[in-house]
Amino acid sequence: MTKKYLGQRMTRTEDPRLLTGQALFVDDVEIPGMLYAAFLRSDYAHALIRSIDVSAAQNRPGVVAVYTAQDLGDFWQHGPPLVPAPHSVEGVVFHSRTQVPLAKDKVRYVGEAVAVVFAESRYIAEDALEEIAVDYEPLETVADLERALEAGAPLVHDDLDSNMASHLVQRKGDYAAAREKADLVIKRRIVIDRGAAGAMENRGIVAHWDEKSQHLTMWDTTQAPIPVRNGLAKILGLSESQVRVIAPFVGGGFGPKIMMFLAEEVLVPWGAIQLNRPIKWIEDRRENFFATTQERGQTHDAEIALTRDGRILGVSHEFLHDTGAYNPYGLTIPLNTQSHSMSAYDVANYYSDMKVVFTNKMITTPVRGAGRPQGIFLMERLLDIAAKELGKDPIEIRKRNYIPPDAFPYNHEIIDQAFAPLVFDSGNYRPALEKAAAMIGYEKFVKEEQPRLRAEGQHVGIGIVSFVETTGVGPYEGSRVTVEASGKISVATGVGTQGQGHFTSFAQIVADQLGVSPRDVRLVTGDTSEFHWGTGTFASRGSVVAANAIHAAAKSVRAKILRLASKALETPEEELELDDGQVRVADIPRQSISLGELAVLANPLRGAVEPGTEPGLEATAYYGPQYGATASGSHAMIIKVDPETMMVEIKRYVAVEDCGTMLNPLIVEGQVHGGVALGIGNSYYEQLIYDDNGQLLNASLADYLIPSATEVPRVEVGHEETRSPLNELGSKGAGEAGAIPVPALFAQALEDALADYNVEILEAPMSPNKLFELLHGKEKEQ
Amino acid sequence: MKIEGEYVFNGPREEVWKLVRDPEVLATALPGTQSLEQVGENEYEGAMNVRIGPVAGAFSGRIVVSNEVAPESCTLSVEGRGKPGFAKGTGDVHLLDQGDGTTLMKYEGEMQIGGRLASVGQRLIDTASKSMIRQGLDALNEALEARVSAKATGQEEIEYEAPSEAEFAAAVARDMAGEMLSSARARIILIVLAIAIVIVIAAVVLTNSGGG
Amino acid sequence: MSNLFNVTVTVNGTRYERTVEPRLLLSDFLRHDLGLTGTHVGCEHGVCGACTVLFDGEPVRSCLMFAVQANGHEILTVEGLGTIDDLHPLQKTFQEAHAVQCGFCTPGFLMTLVPFLEGNPNPTEAEIREAISGNLCRCTGYQHIVDAVKLAAERMRT
Repeated sequence: MTKKYLGQRMTRTEDPRLLTGQALFVDDVEIPGMLYAAFLRSDYAHALIRSIDVSAAQNRPGVVAVYTAQDLGDFWQHGPPLVPAPHSVEGVVFHSRTQVPLAKDKVRYVGEAVAVVFAESRYIAEDALEEIAVDYEPLETVADLERALEAGAPLVHDDLDSNMASHLVQRKGDYAAAREKADLVIKRRIVIDRGAAGAMENRGIVAHWDEKSQHLTMWDTTQAPIPVRNGLAKILGLSESQVRVIAPFVGGGFGPKIMMFLAEEVLVPWGAIQLNRPIKWIEDRRENFFATTQERGQTHDAEIALTRDGRILGVSHEFLHDTGAYNPYGLTIPLNTQSHSMSAYDVANYYSDMKVVFTNKMITTPVRGAGRPQGIFLMERLLDIAAKELGKDPIEIRKRNYIPPDAFPYNHEIIDQAFAPLVFDSGNYRPALEKAAAMIGYEKFVKEEQPRLRAEGQHVGIGIVSFVETTGVGPYEGSRVTVEASGKISVATGVGTQGQGHFTSFAQIVADQLGVSPRDVRLVTGDTSEFHWGTGTFASRGSVVAANAIHAAAKSVRAKILRLASKALETPEEELELDDGQVRVADIPRQSISLGELAVLANPLRGAVEPGTEPGLEATAYYGPQYGATASGSHAMIIKVDPETMMVEIKRYVAVEDCGTMLNPLIVEGQVHGGVALGIGNSYYEQLIYDDNGQLLNASLADYLIPSATEVPRVEVGHEETRSPLNELGSKGAGEAGAIPVPALFAQALEDALADYNVEILEAPMSPNKLFELLHGKEKEQ
Repeated sequence: MKIEGEYVFNGPREEVWKLVRDPEVLATALPGTQSLEQVGENEYEGAMNVRIGPVAGAFSGRIVVSNEVAPESCTLSVEGRGKPGFAKGTGDVHLLDQGDGTTLMKYEGEMQIGGRLASVGQRLIDTASKSMIRQGLDALNEALEARVSAKATGQEEIEYEAPSEAEFAAAVARDMAGEMLSSARARIILIVLAIAIVIVIAAVVLTNSGGG
Repeated sequence: MSNLFNVTVTVNGTRYERTVEPRLLLSDFLRHDLGLTGTHVGCEHGVCGACTVLFDGEPVRSCLMFAVQANGHEILTVEGLGTIDDLHPLQKTFQEAHAVQCGFCTPGFLMTLVPFLEGNPNPTEAEIREAISGNLCRCTGYQHIVDAVKLAAERMRT
């Protein structure tokens, strides 16, 4: 069977609706009689709630109800832990503390919801918020990770002895012994701080309870509609079949929209049932900074031990991970950091001591990269510093340490985010590095252009880094493929879509199997009434897990088609081919039957069927990988810095990615471009700045700088393809790859550009201010 | 955030001290103050409207005076909460006799800010707080000058240029007069202020009506 | 309660008469009162540009305007630019160049670009990037958007 569509740069089927303003986003949902919700959020990062007076708000005309924690009765419960506690891991310490719908006696972060107002309009609801009087007794806050662990620090959770949420040590080999044998040990403190996902669409929910049919429909900007449906049904005391969650077009996910059962997701449907009115809640941008999850905060004390010819003997680090005020997402992010701290390199000895710390800040859950950027930053920085000391160049030292292509599957002997052994399924890292170097003209730049530009007084630098990315993790996804009487194909899967082009790339898979055009394949994602089982879009897994489930289902349907067509055309299956929506006898095109006709044949209205047959041309299949497929790549950049203004200009940016088989290269490139843009933000422009009192100081897009078209350069994308042996399509994930190596790359390139200042960049994000301070510190030393 | 600065008052240190030592006068001079009440020996409670850029709303707060060394220095502790957020701060005030009939005031303090003020008002807080303090000190200076003149001449007629915040202060004085103030000292100061303002307005009216 | 004002506004060629509160944002008016949900709201503080519409031919942030300010004026939203069967050249090239991912920022970009191309029919890459620097996109990294604009400009010139 010839592959016609898979791997093609097809334009997207869903675009015309989006381009003409005809696509449904959550805030577009209008239901007669709809109420609007607004949440009163704490201004204090840590305070006792002495009393709440809602009477003035309740009496405002247009306000239907105001609720505080006291009003929720038995419904007030801690949210479920979303990621299981790692009880299976030896020696782990883990205290699970999950969020509540409304703060009861204490608020633990700025933005924690304290009361909710339901009113006839959003304007009235927000007016009413101003009339709610909360008597807070402020407590001392903990915002700094180290101070949070000091004896006598204010406790975020009073029932614990300290703010340490978790402690986990991972070991591979014997680092201490390796250190003894090393010719060089580099020891540094590396600090990474928080960033926001910053999707253009903020969160939103519309809940509609139909009292007569006892059914709840909820539109939600979630990345995980099925788990939300399941959890909500349980929380609300309903049967799963009474709840339908729809994630329509969603304006960007990037991670936080997979966090579930925050206050709003629980109270809006609850309110809809209590009041028997549809309720809408749309987050505004300022709220998004406080009330939507974020991540990246970690502090590492790290060491790398090497031989004098640049061979890594071992890596060791002790780090603190900021989980915010609660930890519903378990250890996923810091485990990812550990999984990526050895990166693409063959590191025989590894020691990692991870402490997760509660702070009076918003909860952290994955944001594009999900802990991987921190691990990559750590390794690449240590390696670059070692390279400088040893007089090796960045390319040479990386090549010396890569896991060789014949060493796969490579078992790192530590556990990953699924508490299973970290195994890289496949990889071939040198070609990506060499391609990136070639594409950017590394040698020529270093030997000719850079010296020339430097002689002119310009500060230009070049950087090149490698990365790996664990993707395509389980547990599973599923899909149902159906041939309809019209001859068109309908496909349903449990994941949602937030711009990744599933409607097209997944259709390409089906199109190849069934011999139709992808434009005739109609995909439904993110609707729990269309497909019942699944987990969601996260960890760059759609193109692996959902895609392979769709592939398997399509193959089953193909088999059914051939079987039935063989009977209908009285020809053996081997002599049949599927093309153009028809089943044809090879070489006798006139002998054919259309898929639509077959579908009708397969679903008779009358007559008998053979026992054991299933009606229709339909199949459902699931795919669950044993472990995730590991993508990889190499990025390179040429950057110019003005050492007076600290403004940077990225002259060239090259991204070589290896995500195995690409379903649609156009879409993959789009993902890489977008990931790099977010990575550039994480490197130089974006940082969520909290003060010592846990106050977020830059909760607006005017002060939190998401890169615009003048900050993001053209990204030249190169492809390598190391197919994954774990799945039939050979695919690996690609959604987060663009973002992961960028801070490490920035650091290397900036250092190179400012070589005459001899600075060392050990933190991310950097910023013009921080760079200024670094340079000035240096000047003073001289 | 740090709040610090200097201001030169046109009057002797003892007079400035009397005005400054009375937080009611300080608070009265601040634009947007709605009310003030003494609730303890050195403790006052009040309400104020705050506007800093896009952030606006009513604040209610408390002021405590401590560490008094008359007529040199004292410490003011302020705590306010409201829809725009909350603010908590402590400041030291020092007065130095310049020897030429003027007094140099130095103030220095720390302010913690939270809520909307902190998260979207950051860039404006510095300028706004400086402006508010300046306006307040200007109004205070005018009250001082009026008082000193009144004492010196023994008259009730005072001539000086109408401050641009006259209407502000007038409105505040009006509100203040409506409140029950127990402090006799405060009443005197307010009467002085009110008289000064009335005379100023009269002066303006007279000069304008005389053609211009 | 607040006063209500009569507003008469022409949107995408159709005249609408409504009675609104003075504080009703233009973006809310278009989206919820008129049901034209193509214009999106990303920040409500005038930075992201997703709410951009044409106001008497000029691009404006509808989240920073009140509906009453539109009284007697003409507005063009993305719904007035083209239909699924009759796409504007920019809409066509956006699809061809894969300039749309989640699509949330897209209407804002289109409405910014329409007057831009009218004033600059043969823009350089730098000019395009400058022109869209007031529109934020978190998904695409802007590259394919720039490609789409170049392609549309070329086609619109011929």
